[in-house]
Amino acid sequence: MKRIEVKLSLPVVAPLLDVIKEAADSLSSNLAASNTLVEVEAELRDTWRDELLLSQNEEVKQLLALFDTEFFASGVVAFDSSNAEPIVRACAAVRLRLRERFLLDLKEEVLESGEIELEALEEPSRRAFMCYLFLATIQELIIQHLDSSILEN
Amino acid sequence: MSDRNKPQTETEVSSSTATAVEGRWNVVVLNDPVNLMSYVVLVFKKVLGFNESTARKHMMEVHEQGRSIVWSGVREQAEHYTFTLQHWHLHAVLESDETH
Repeated sequence: MKRIEVKLSLPVVAPLLDVIKEAADSLSSNLAASNTLVEVEAELRDTWRDELLLSQNEEVKQLLALFDTEFFASGVVAFDSSNAEPIVRACAAVRLRLRERFLLDLKEEVLESGEIELEALEEPSRRAFMCYLFLATIQELIIQHLDSSILEN
Repeated sequence: MSDRNKPQTETEVSSSTATAVEGRWNVVVLNDPVNLMSYVVLVFKKVLGFNESTARKHMMEVHEQGRSIVWSGVREQAEHYTFTLQHWHLHAVLESDETH
């Protein structure tokens, strides 16, 4: 089984975890991309939403579980075929929520280009944007090294 | 199929509902500024079975035109794909294909 271990800088990552957890907690009863249910038939909508919410919550829990006591001792997180897919999805969910809660003032083109001056942002948005970039980095690492595991699963 | 014992109005209603459900449906992915291009390509490959170049073509269509029809066909399968794409947090919607 292919496995990657990533050593993260604790002084950089630790201060971001509260923001990530807060955004993750706010997803417990809301879908990250909730506006996409409008086209679904009314009678199917509740079941559809509940199933998406259940899996979203389980996957976000898996993402948060990466940052456990062992992480705080070693700074290492590990990905393999058993967690790559749920983690990459959970990162997407939390990034969507971070954007909705903290980064709505940033224009879409600016957000897509990633060309943002951190110093120009107010503190809550600055930290949220760092979390947003951090989660994107995790996604890129997983996609770069474990995409075949995800595709074969 | 028809049921001659039912009043005509009811037959008309059920017939038009059946056409709407049985007709052709599009699965449309809408642009969002958050999901990474590489992530969207991975999702298209994983969920829809696209090869790399088809996945990239649709991803670029979403990025540049704001939407891409990634699959068309019967309602049940279109619902399955829409649900799965939403599971991956893409902005996917079902649309009736009115060209058919």
